[in-house]
Amino acid sequence: MKKVLVMGGEALKNHAKGPVTKHVLKRIAENPPPEDIRTIPRIIEDRCIMCGTCVKVCPTHCIEIEKDNKDNGMIWLLKPQCMWCGHCQTYCPVDAIHIDRDPNLSVSLFSFNIHQDYEMLVAKGSYKGDVADKKLSDLIEAGGKKIKEVEEFRG
Amino acid sequence: MTEQYRSRFRTLTDGSDAPPGADHHIFIGPQHPWAEEPAHFIIHLKGERVVEADIRIGFNLRGIEKAMENKTWRQNTMLIPRACGICSAVHQNVYVRLAEKLAGIEDQISERAKLIRMFSLEAERIHSHILWYGILAHDAGFDTMLHVTWRDREIILDIVEDFSGNRVNPALMLIGGVKRDIPKEKADRAQPMLDKLIKQVEYHKKVFTEEASIRNRLEDVGILTKEDAKKVTPNGPTGRGSGLPFDVRKATPYELYDKIDWNLVYYTEGDILATTMVRLDETLESLQMCKQILYQLESTQGELLARVKQKIPEGNYFARGEAPRGEDVHYGIANGTDTPERYKIRAPSLGNIDATLKRMDGEYVADMPVILRSYDPCFSCTNRVMVINEVTGEKMILNQDEFARKAIKAKKYNRPFF
Amino acid sequence: MSDVLKELEGILNITLPGNLVEGVTKVEEGHFDVMCNVTNAFDLMKILREDAGIYHLSTISGVEKDDEFNVCYHIQHRIEDEFKEVPINLIITKIDKNKPKTPSMLEFFVAADYYEREIYDFYGIYFENHPFLQRLILPERWPDDVKPMRKEYGWEQIKEITMKITKEGLEEAK
Repeated sequence: MKKVLVMGGEALKNHAKGPVTKHVLKRIAENPPPEDIRTIPRIIEDRCIMCGTCVKVCPTHCIEIEKDNKDNGMIWLLKPQCMWCGHCQTYCPVDAIHIDRDPNLSVSLFSFNIHQDYEMLVAKGSYKGDVADKKLSDLIEAGGKKIKEVEEFRG
Repeated sequence: MTEQYRSRFRTLTDGSDAPPGADHHIFIGPQHPWAEEPAHFIIHLKGERVVEADIRIGFNLRGIEKAMENKTWRQNTMLIPRACGICSAVHQNVYVRLAEKLAGIEDQISERAKLIRMFSLEAERIHSHILWYGILAHDAGFDTMLHVTWRDREIILDIVEDFSGNRVNPALMLIGGVKRDIPKEKADRAQPMLDKLIKQVEYHKKVFTEEASIRNRLEDVGILTKEDAKKVTPNGPTGRGSGLPFDVRKATPYELYDKIDWNLVYYTEGDILATTMVRLDETLESLQMCKQILYQLESTQGELLARVKQKIPEGNYFARGEAPRGEDVHYGIANGTDTPERYKIRAPSLGNIDATLKRMDGEYVADMPVILRSYDPCFSCTNRVMVINEVTGEKMILNQDEFARKAIKAKKYNRPFF
Repeated sequence: MSDVLKELEGILNITLPGNLVEGVTKVEEGHFDVMCNVTNAFDLMKILREDAGIYHLSTISGVEKDDEFNVCYHIQHRIEDEFKEVPINLIITKIDKNKPKTPSMLEFFVAADYYEREIYDFYGIYFENHPFLQRLILPERWPDDVKPMRKEYGWEQIKEITMKITKEGLEEAK
């Protein structure tokens, strides 16, 4: 059967409490984000065998590897493209990756051509030092070219 | 039958191919933020009544089926839940079950992994239904219900964020099991929150059945009888409101749905109030199921992930799942390598469009926002409605809020729309 | 194969003549695959629709193999007293690759209208006796002879066509 003003009690109660914008800061302080939120991966240097499984499994193609036939190599990560899914940790055969929590990642603005957007995960053997620095400048240049193409297309 | 058949899916939209008996036509434009398909509706009118309604689709084509043929089976696990914004857990679940059946490991999945998957699916159903009936109340002119229901929806979003780290796309499933565990402290924190939400949803149900201003707007509007429903084949809660009692979880059970006790919900009246009551009752059933799952998780052990090879042998399989909006259908073919050969997805809203357009024959223009909301799409706030009078040639542009307000005034004071 | 055929006939309560059906396999308990040829497809669908009373069509999908096309109709047989469904996949084989043609099932299922138009858009298969076979999903300026889902078009080629269409649209809007 039909009645009128069924929600009258609730509406008056909420009106007496005042606008929600007064209480919302207190509610945010009571519910912080959970402790085990995960962001980007980190590799333990002693365990990595340079097999390349993490490159094949990544859904967004954001991990790159360069190596030679002996045991030397380096692995680079593009931070803006990583979607924090955790596949590299699940499928690594020697358990060398652990997912870290980096709270500053949500406040920066990614633009592909500053040096904070690229992270060197591991470098072994003869690839430390100069080779790693040159790789960083190559990546920044390639990122700058991509941005220029998009600006040209937009006109 | 093929000679007199007039298709409701149009290609061009100048309105020149009108059915006989129509005076003028209205467009409703294509801007939806998170529905499965943004659509362009063309409604042919005679005076105040609708003669027929047409649609044009294709604005959100992203090429997912072609992109899946270049990536491996493991990489596609994270591409599939992005096919839809709010049904994302169900798409990933059907994909993972299909890949496990083709690889031949479907009886090595442990019970604990299946229970965690079922919790994610039911939590998503609760979230989607509460969101839907809040927006339906807003379209019918009852704004208080929108604010109260969206305040209560934050409870279930807090539970999902605690379990998986993300409010909307949990993406907890992998081929062979799940990614994360639910330890005992988190389950103990979630139980009193679920109890509080059950009391609030029972209050919402009392408002929808007793309050006169919502009932006048929804009752006896847009009736779809059972014989008509058998011809146009709706699926999901739209079909269950018209008397077709079929649900994928009971018809061909998957995961552990035949070991938990729950009831099938269906009504026979066929108007919009019946589909609303179907979704309200389903929310209450899902909340009871979530409590049972958390209770059973304490006493079940098992490993979380089973071993799968990278290459999947040849074969083809057809799998379905019950999304909050209907029946979700996937058909996959594998060819022995690590990329799929052909993968076909049909989202549930596409099958409901024809039934909704048939509901509008003979109704008033002012009932249209409520009927278009009833199969669960979403229009954005930057909609434009353009009214063209074919006799005098004058045009009038309204946007979404003005259109809804004019419709509310026309129904309240029993006045013509224009 | 013949005992699986007998089981299917027992569930549906009809008799399927042997010259129309090429093969029946059982995928799992309550789930069947039926294969047939292009020339016999219309008659077989007529028996399933009118004698057995199947009225629900889930979707239609097209598959490209090395030397032929396949079109698959996914229908469900519904038993209302027990709330159960039996999925049946009807696979139509041996569609010619140079001039692909197959009969349209619009007389039996109203929903076949838009699913068949989607396959015509993406693969180029022509459905006979369909009254309104036109473009459904692809954008307005897409060229008519490029059918995107065929294997001859790679991902790079389709990206080029999309960028070209977008540029034309931006030029016209200025």
